[in-house]
Amino acid sequence: MRGILGLLLLFALLPFLPLGAWGAFLLDVGLFILLFTALALSWDLVARTGQLSLAHGAFFGLGAYGAGLMVPHLGTLPALLLGSLLAGAGALLLGSVTLRLHGLYFAIASLAFSEVLRTMALKLPFTGGPIGLPVPPPFGGGWPLASYYLAFAVLLLAVALSLWAERSSFRLAQAATRQSEAVARVLGVRVVRVKLLSLLLGSLVAGLAGGVYAMKALFLNPYEAFSLGRAVEALVIPIFGGLYSTLGPLLGGVVLVGLEQALRLWIQEGYLVVYGALLILAILFLPRGLLGLLGGRRG
Amino acid sequence: MARVLEVQGVSKRFLGLLALKEVSLHLEEGEILAVIGPNGAGKSTLLNVISGLLRPDGGEVRLLGRPITRLSPEARTHLGLGRAFQIVQPLPELSVRENLLVGALFGKPGTSKKAAEAWVEEVLALTGLEARAEAPAGELTLLEDKRLELARALATRPRVLLLDEVMAGLRPKEAEEAVALVRRIRDSGVSVLFIEHLMPVVRALADRVVVLDHGEVIAEGPYEKVAREERVREAYLGRGA
Repeated sequence: MRGILGLLLLFALLPFLPLGAWGAFLLDVGLFILLFTALALSWDLVARTGQLSLAHGAFFGLGAYGAGLMVPHLGTLPALLLGSLLAGAGALLLGSVTLRLHGLYFAIASLAFSEVLRTMALKLPFTGGPIGLPVPPPFGGGWPLASYYLAFAVLLLAVALSLWAERSSFRLAQAATRQSEAVARVLGVRVVRVKLLSLLLGSLVAGLAGGVYAMKALFLNPYEAFSLGRAVEALVIPIFGGLYSTLGPLLGGVVLVGLEQALRLWIQEGYLVVYGALLILAILFLPRGLLGLLGGRRG
Repeated sequence: MARVLEVQGVSKRFLGLLALKEVSLHLEEGEILAVIGPNGAGKSTLLNVISGLLRPDGGEVRLLGRPITRLSPEARTHLGLGRAFQIVQPLPELSVRENLLVGALFGKPGTSKKAAEAWVEEVLALTGLEARAEAPAGELTLLEDKRLELARALATRPRVLLLDEVMAGLRPKEAEEAVALVRRIRDSGVSVLFIEHLMPVVRALADRVVVLDHGEVIAEGPYEKVAREERVREAYLGRGA
């Protein structure tokens, strides 16, 4: 818990630290860490029920496009909220038809869901299609730190949800569902409801992260917003940091997203090769993620 | 006495195989009923149909007078059905206490955390698992696994308890203890239907026995009577024995 609070405090104060010439770069890195860590936590929330989601890129994209399309008409916060609700509606749709599927079958269905949404974003008349969609910055651009603190708020929400799920009896419902659905049901756990609620909460957070991302990137295109790479990042971070926990994805996000941004700067060509190699090493030698190093317990 | 569980004309077909053929049986309140039969007789299929993990192709299951044939397994648990599995299935990443807590919390909707925790302590004491309460369920011995399986089903506060060969693999002394435990459970007001291969256990525990063979009920009654019946001996030993 102290680790979690410490990290959050660091992010809250980051814009006011004397970072000198690196300040602007580090703040950007920090913002991406916040958003993708929130996305990773939202993925972990679903993984705790044993469902491998490849739809988190799509929830992110739904939130991004929903917010991006609405910002000029409704203002920043309502647009973010609508984007998040759009992602939630997508999750309910996906969940109601697929959550009776287990593990890999759900993963494949969620992948198909992402592909359908990307195609829709390409073909629908109001999304800007392959050309893309320009998005105004939050609050009309009047406050330079706005997108950073919006991202921070999204992470706070993700951490709060994750801690709630970890500390309430919901944890036992999720853990039982993950470890054996048949046993969970015979013990009275309403597994479909547990899975659907987890997917809904996860998608709402992922949608918010997408919305803030849109206002930071200022431009969306379907290939980027609905990229499979994002879905993969959402699952790599918790695996790297430590699954089924709050601290694991937090640590994983700080290290991996930070590393990715730094490598991109140092080795412009081929940074992904180094990134990939580091990931393989981590999976080989840290089967329980960074948390395993700290002696954390799964449950 | 009231019938707490009724199975009426239940059939279940797997591809070409008729696993259950219009099986009818019932369990009285406060009774311990054994369902026996050779391997492949359909005993576990029957339990899976009763607990809702399989849908029957025909027939009806009633619990405490209510038809439950179309209900989900979790809904049946909420109504008072408990189930222990033959192949022990601990939730391995949870502790023994947490395993029981799952049943105590979700077995009856609306149970408060405090009530669930108190009940779990009682079940731990009843099943002799207190000393292992904090152990991860994935690290238990076979005997402890069996106790956990029983304890977890009990944690859901069932009125009717289904036990699927929970004595298999136990030493005679351990089986004796388990028999005493099942009696205590019955005396606390739970009706028990159990599947068992060990005849000494059946003889010691069962008030009544139902014999299944090739998915059909071929005999029913007290152990001594059933054991003498020609069809039962044939089913177990083969024709001409």
